Amino acid sequence: MTSPPPPPSPPARVPQAGDGPAEPELRACGLRLAYDDRIVVEDLDLVVPPGRISVVIGANACGKSTLLRALARLLAPRGGGVLLDGRSIHTMPTRQVARRLGILPQSPTAPEGLTVADLVGQGRAPHQTWWRQWSPGDQDAVTRALLATGMLEHADRPLERLSGGQRQRAWIAMAVAQETPVLLLDEPTTFLDLAHQIDVLDLIVDLNRRERRTVVMVLHDLNQACRYADRVIVMKSGHVVAEGEPAEVMSAGLVEEVFGMRCRVTADPVSGTPLIIPIGRHHTGRAPDGR
Amino acid sequence: MPGLDITRSPGRVAFRLAVPRVSGVLHPRLILVCPALGAAAFLVFCLTVGAGTGDYALAPHAVVPALWGAGDPADVFVVRELRLPRASVALLCGAAFGAAGAVFQSVTRNPLAGPDMLGITQGAGAAVAGGIVLGVGSAPGTQTLGLAGALGAGLLIYLLAWNRGTTGYRIVLVGIGISWMCLSLTSYLMSRTELHQAHRILGWLVGSLNDRGWEQARPLALALVTLAPPVLLLGRLRRTLELGDEVAAGLGTPVQRVRMVLLLCGAALAAFATAAAGPVLFVALASPQIAQRLAGTASPPVVTAAFTGSVIVLTGDLIGQRLLADAVVPVGVVTGVLGAPFLLWQLARADKTGSGG
Repeated sequence: MTSPPPPPSPPARVPQAGDGPAEPELRACGLRLAYDDRIVVEDLDLVVPPGRISVVIGANACGKSTLLRALARLLAPRGGGVLLDGRSIHTMPTRQVARRLGILPQSPTAPEGLTVADLVGQGRAPHQTWWRQWSPGDQDAVTRALLATGMLEHADRPLERLSGGQRQRAWIAMAVAQETPVLLLDEPTTFLDLAHQIDVLDLIVDLNRRERRTVVMVLHDLNQACRYADRVIVMKSGHVVAEGEPAEVMSAGLVEEVFGMRCRVTADPVSGTPLIIPIGRHHTGRAPDGR
Repeated sequence: MPGLDITRSPGRVAFRLAVPRVSGVLHPRLILVCPALGAAAFLVFCLTVGAGTGDYALAPHAVVPALWGAGDPADVFVVRELRLPRASVALLCGAAFGAAGAVFQSVTRNPLAGPDMLGITQGAGAAVAGGIVLGVGSAPGTQTLGLAGALGAGLLIYLLAWNRGTTGYRIVLVGIGISWMCLSLTSYLMSRTELHQAHRILGWLVGSLNDRGWEQARPLALALVTLAPPVLLLGRLRRTLELGDEVAAGLGTPVQRVRMVLLLCGAALAAFATAAAGPVLFVALASPQIAQRLAGTASPPVVTAAFTGSVIVLTGDLIGQRLLADAVVPVGVVTGVLGAPFLLWQLARADKTGSGG
């Protein structure tokens, strides 16, 4: 009666969940966002390029997380709207949105004792009904997600016994198991040490390249944003001030305008993408050779 | 069994039926613990009815015929009108408190939340005190008053916690506020009234199964039958809520609607149980925690918590009646005295093994 564990399926697979076209289309039109009476984002238009990684950057409180929350229908807009495949995500049934678009909020928390397998299994919620809570499809998706994130060996462990990096991987695995063509991540590297930050970002690139998932994420580190983004979206006080490939967009002038910080921009010796080097008050910003 | 397929994948065991296409996750310990607790509840129930308590000496072999109305009419009366309804109220109110506690703790993501921490029980207490002082309450009167007070408090908490939606945290804070308000009101009423009335209020506030009969059991059974299905059907979405509102919303759970339905069902369960037996303290708080630790799940399992609640109340009542020959100790006192050390022991053990849950 008890069958042997199924052979792990190959991880490479285009997400085909949901009831829309394969290539997802996510855009914001005339978006106006506010908390209580404080307007955070005003008249924002954005088209998310499908199959690419977009990274939203900007100073603290510029509205980048707010924008991401609105794109994920976690925040209702005061004006304008967000369209997924041409339909407003605020009027679409929320379950239907959840089959096309996944969101991982900033530093989520799980109940004590929850195992990795249970957490990742929750990613299947939008595909389940109360009478069909664990179909073969659910099982395959969870196994694939655990494989893709390298968490298969930790499936039985409770989250609180994992390292910070492993825990973040487990949460990403949950979002991966949701099998949505669009994945939104709010600062997925917060509270991780540098090695784990790079590890998580590499994982996200894997998901994007192997499965052509559209990724939109908020990052704090400009150099990581330049290295990992196909497209950066630069925000300042609720507006998009620049948008495009990092090499085209990032300049010392833009960084000074957005962050109020003098810097020099050079080429990342590893990736060739822009490398932003802050100057600060105690340095001249001139190279030692006097150039 | 043909058509039943049980598979093991990393971290979980799942079952699937071919026809109808039903599938679900099996928690191996839950499968053992839940029926075991159900059996224990049934056993104590039978013990209460069969071995019985009180002054009337009834031979055990006369109990079963008496259930069907055969035998000595006095035996029949004792079994069918005294013992059976009393045991039924204990069973049902334990189940209702246990399930309500599990729902509250799960929805607020707070193991300390429960109808007796968040003002539901205190609302019933204030209403009953008010009724007795104003001279409204004979026995069925306290039942209706308790129900109205508890439901009113539940609604008030939900409405006051609303600010473009509710959060578990706001519900806990508002609930604690309401709870203290109702407690103060009850104290005020008791201090202003005559001694015999204050004594009656106190007697109700302790939580007791004395003089409880079918008129208490029937509405409670009806409430359980009505409220259990929505709570159980929402179980899948309730578990997503435990990951936080934003994650749950991202997974397609209509967070506010699910939380509202669950909280109102939980409050109603607690209200009917409180109306029937008074505030049997501690049951709603401890049952989910005990059930969760016994079952080894990450969240309070509702059905297991209901069985646990039944076992606690039935056992508490049996001990309360049997403990001292000349005085009957109210069940609420016993559950507190015995339940608290058990929970502490469980917590201490969990810390030692490092599982924490």
